[in-house]
Amino acid sequence: MHIRVESLTHIYARGTPAERVALRGVDLEIEPGERVGISGPTGSGKSTLVQHIAGLLTPAAGRVLLDGVPAHARTPEARARRRQVGLAFQFPEAQMFEVTVFREVAFGPRHLGLNADEIAARVRWALEMVGLDPDAFADRVPFALSGGEMRRVALAGILALKPQVLILDEPTAGLDPRGRADILARLRAWQEQTGATFILVSHHLDEMAGLVDRVVLLADGQVVADGPTRHILGDGDRLRSVGLSPPPGVVLLEALRAAGWPVRTDALVIEEIISEIVRCIER
Amino acid sequence: MNLLLPGMYFAADTALHRLDPRVKMGAAMALMVLPFAARHPIGHLLAVGLVGAAAVLSRAPWRALLGTLRTVFWLSFFMFFFYFFTTPGRPLLALGGVRVTVEGLLAGALQVYRLCLLAVVAALLTYTTSPLQLTHGLEAMLSPLARIGLPVRELGMVLTVALRFVPTFFEEIETISRAQRARGVDLSSGPPWQRIRNTVPVFVPLFLSAIRRAEELAVAMEARGFRSQPHRTRLYQLTLTRADAIAALIVLACGTIGVLIR
Repeated sequence: MHIRVESLTHIYARGTPAERVALRGVDLEIEPGERVGISGPTGSGKSTLVQHIAGLLTPAAGRVLLDGVPAHARTPEARARRRQVGLAFQFPEAQMFEVTVFREVAFGPRHLGLNADEIAARVRWALEMVGLDPDAFADRVPFALSGGEMRRVALAGILALKPQVLILDEPTAGLDPRGRADILARLRAWQEQTGATFILVSHHLDEMAGLVDRVVLLADGQVVADGPTRHILGDGDRLRSVGLSPPPGVVLLEALRAAGWPVRTDALVIEEIISEIVRCIER
Repeated sequence: MNLLLPGMYFAADTALHRLDPRVKMGAAMALMVLPFAARHPIGHLLAVGLVGAAAVLSRAPWRALLGTLRTVFWLSFFMFFFYFFTTPGRPLLALGGVRVTVEGLLAGALQVYRLCLLAVVAALLTYTTSPLQLTHGLEAMLSPLARIGLPVRELGMVLTVALRFVPTFFEEIETISRAQRARGVDLSSGPPWQRIRNTVPVFVPLFLSAIRRAEELAVAMEARGFRSQPHRTRLYQLTLTRADAIAALIVLACGTIGVLIR
């Protein structure tokens, strides 16, 4: 699905002293199948922007078009397109309410009007995608699971919708490092299998590095940078200027460079960083 | 959230915000009683005038104040028709066996006006008084009852906590329903039975989070050594100022005139 954000403005608590402008004239275009990271400091408007893309908020000005149709409209065409956008909120396990894992994951597909066999197949598939054994987990009570397992169940509930656009708002917040890496690898595998548009919201830039091809930086409700991942994440000074910490690899290479080593600073994944250092040592 | 919700505090620095909470609560009570006790139109005029003046002073957005009337919409609706159809008097219209009267129309309208004023006064009180001040004021007003064994401080604490979480829960309902909509559920459409079933995905998570919050709050209070029993002192003491005296006098004067005039 083609996503087009046109001079989008969002204002919270409009007309009260608590009024806050969350987005100021954001323009953005995302092609079908693109892998995009959205980052920015706390309060920069990341979550608001993706909720607009999912058609959950009404713009104060501007609009979001999903294949040319305004995302928040109350028309059947808009509703059909919204159904193709799966958005996992921050801490998605906070929205669980069912008595078994199966029913929890089946909640979305059931509302798509699928038949029982198709629902069961989707639930199995989605649980496997997030690394949970359907036979062991389907009948368990979601609230008795560990935090990491609950997160996986909640994400499976979104994957089971088989969206054309998957948006994840801080999908690994509050998880341990191994859990984070595993979940992200699985989501990446899901993206490669389905070819869906993948939008990852995070302020952990090192996590983003291997997962997305393009990064959009937001600060104070505006797009301050938008480009290939390497170009955006390799620019430590710009990241710091908007209040983000550059990925550790970039910091290391910057330090080496400051010490007189002729290294590139835009190496993002660990292998690349090592080979960059090795190259300088061997020179 | 685009609206000031009923029961929400609206931080600002106006003459009404600065009044002593005890004065404001007393005045609110007087203004709630006045429309019921007044016999003469002048009494009602005074009530509307005072509430209108308070609304202007509070600088609360008009849309928000009018929005609070929604809370009494159904009650007003039923009250109006109850009085409309049951009050005897001069016939206005007779349709089949049903006869409605001029008196019924007036009595119904009077009920609606009373309820609306009630809602606006309550809203103005919570808009201009922070939950902390509200409980402080209530504790101060109830303190004589502590002698006969009423746990005034504990009640105050319960009230503070309850008021503190009203906006939080409204926000949470908003977030949870958005999240469920993102899972492909249209919560606000469909036949009535479907809409009732659709509340489950919102209220189960809401209750779970309320219980979790309650536990966390209890632990946090324990950890900071909260005890209600030994006498607690306060950083801000309530002191009556000249403005408080003037406000109290105005409300008292208007109230007395409004009730006594016939």
